[in-house]
Amino acid sequence: MINLVYNEQLKLFRKKRLFVIILIVAFLVPIFTYAQYKQVKTTEERLGTTDWRTQLQQEIVDTQNRLSSSRLQEDIRQFLKVRLTQQQYYLDHNINPNAPGAPTFMRVFAENSIGLLLPLLVMVIAADLVSSEASGGTIKLLLTRPVKRWKILLSKYIALLLSISFIVLCVAILTYGISGLVFGYGGWSMPMLTGFTSKGEELITTGVHLIPHWEYILMEFGLVWFVCFVVGTLTFMLSVLLRSTAAVMGIMLAALISGVILTNMVSSWHSAKYLFMVNLQLTNYVNGLKPPIEGMTLGFSIAVLLIWALAALIISFFTFTKRDVY
Amino acid sequence: MKKRIITIITACSILSAALCLIGLGWVMKDQLIGTKNTKVTTQPAQEVPHPAHQQIHIAAFGDSLTRGTGDPEGKGYIGYLMQELKKKTKKPITLSNSAIKGQTSSQLVKQLAEPEIRRQIKNATIILLTIGGNDLFQGGKAISHLDPTFMKRSEKTYLANVKKIYSTIRSLNQSATVFHIGLYNPFIDMEKSKLTSTIVRQWNFDSANTAADYKKIVYVPTFDLFELNVNDYLFNDKFHPNAAGYKLIGERVAALITFSEEGKR
Repeated sequence: MINLVYNEQLKLFRKKRLFVIILIVAFLVPIFTYAQYKQVKTTEERLGTTDWRTQLQQEIVDTQNRLSSSRLQEDIRQFLKVRLTQQQYYLDHNINPNAPGAPTFMRVFAENSIGLLLPLLVMVIAADLVSSEASGGTIKLLLTRPVKRWKILLSKYIALLLSISFIVLCVAILTYGISGLVFGYGGWSMPMLTGFTSKGEELITTGVHLIPHWEYILMEFGLVWFVCFVVGTLTFMLSVLLRSTAAVMGIMLAALISGVILTNMVSSWHSAKYLFMVNLQLTNYVNGLKPPIEGMTLGFSIAVLLIWALAALIISFFTFTKRDVY
Repeated sequence: MKKRIITIITACSILSAALCLIGLGWVMKDQLIGTKNTKVTTQPAQEVPHPAHQQIHIAAFGDSLTRGTGDPEGKGYIGYLMQELKKKTKKPITLSNSAIKGQTSSQLVKQLAEPEIRRQIKNATIILLTIGGNDLFQGGKAISHLDPTFMKRSEKTYLANVKKIYSTIRSLNQSATVFHIGLYNPFIDMEKSKLTSTIVRQWNFDSANTAADYKKIVYVPTFDLFELNVNDYLFNDKFHPNAAGYKLIGERVAALITFSEEGKR
């Protein structure tokens, strides 16, 4: 088994996919860092102060002004209201949610890339894991070996999980290393608030508690990994089912992007919450933003994603072991 | 060589997977099972020393007028006021504008209870205020049925709120000059203008009387600015000032501010 996994790792390594993905991240992070840096500088200039409390107060007032305009969609209004109450809570407890520093950047990057960017990167690896062997014909050589089929597929799957973990690790290291050059490397122990829940436009703060920043980040990266695992598994299934890598990529791309679009407009279509792509923004439950559909919770989303992943695994193993290869 | 790289990568991956699983488990424990209800303690406020003498800090509160609604450039009277002030002084000026569109006097009383707002008042050298417009006109609703007893009642609550606002500001900051910008009558060109003007004048008069009870609270009249050619100074909605209207208000306040600063020296 170990040799099989090693063999798959070697194939992945030879294809240089991991290398390309790391290069993409290494190229994107400086851009985001610069954008963030510019934003900080502009707010400082506009308000003439570096005091975060004044800046947060100004954000609150801006939101209040948006809320007072009558032509606002109901779901956006609720979203803003919840965020506003949360910002006020941070301010009242004198905790800065956006203290500059590389850990904050890591956290913001994770929160913003969990829905689309990281799933896309994972998809690039997972898409041709099986389908390329099918279209290239090498699958026959692989299957003529005296090894059970499910073992071969399992070794591929383990190699995929390892690569996903590696990508998440690289993202963490790269965001920390690069953004730290600009924002500084400190800020691991500052307090963060978590445990907000929302109901309608009310923010419920009974479960709110303080946790150190490093714990918060570890939690978010755990969720990032979980999302990548689910997306990877789904792509893996498609890769087993379809011979063409392009088709696998196309389907996954469409699903992921439609997820981003759907989250902006499904607030009244309740059964949409069983689709996997609306559940990808898991970090929102940790930082207390309003979920796209009323009634979604962290437990619910994780369960939905897990069911999708399990179904995908069963389908892939079933078809791969039963299929005729010619 | 290749073998070693792959082993290293695999080891890193396993390590990362373990870490992420710990994180995932932690989330579940933290968010789903609930925690030993640790109370959130307020962090001690470390006061940022404020160089009050080197710079002028303006804190603005109130309604859409302070926000600048109606000015296409969004500057509002504060924007023009800042322009004028920058000509007059070389000191750096900072501004915090906490005005909210549609805010009434009772909402402002609530806003002044927020700790951050209180801190801003404490640090301010100049405080600007527009309030009352929404109490009086209620988005134009009140003007369609001018009921004198109703008007009297809303004025009474308004005046009580203004008193609270003034005392709150004064108790937090004794030295800052407060400029309360008065009401004008946007309906002066319409029917029943006599009646509406009487009401606005009455509100202005009573507010100015209240302001006179406090030190360094100046009630700045704007009624006269808009009395003639009101339509040249109003925005499309016939309620908020346009750029020209804001400019008039800004210049008027700017003139007062230089005067009070020279008086300090």
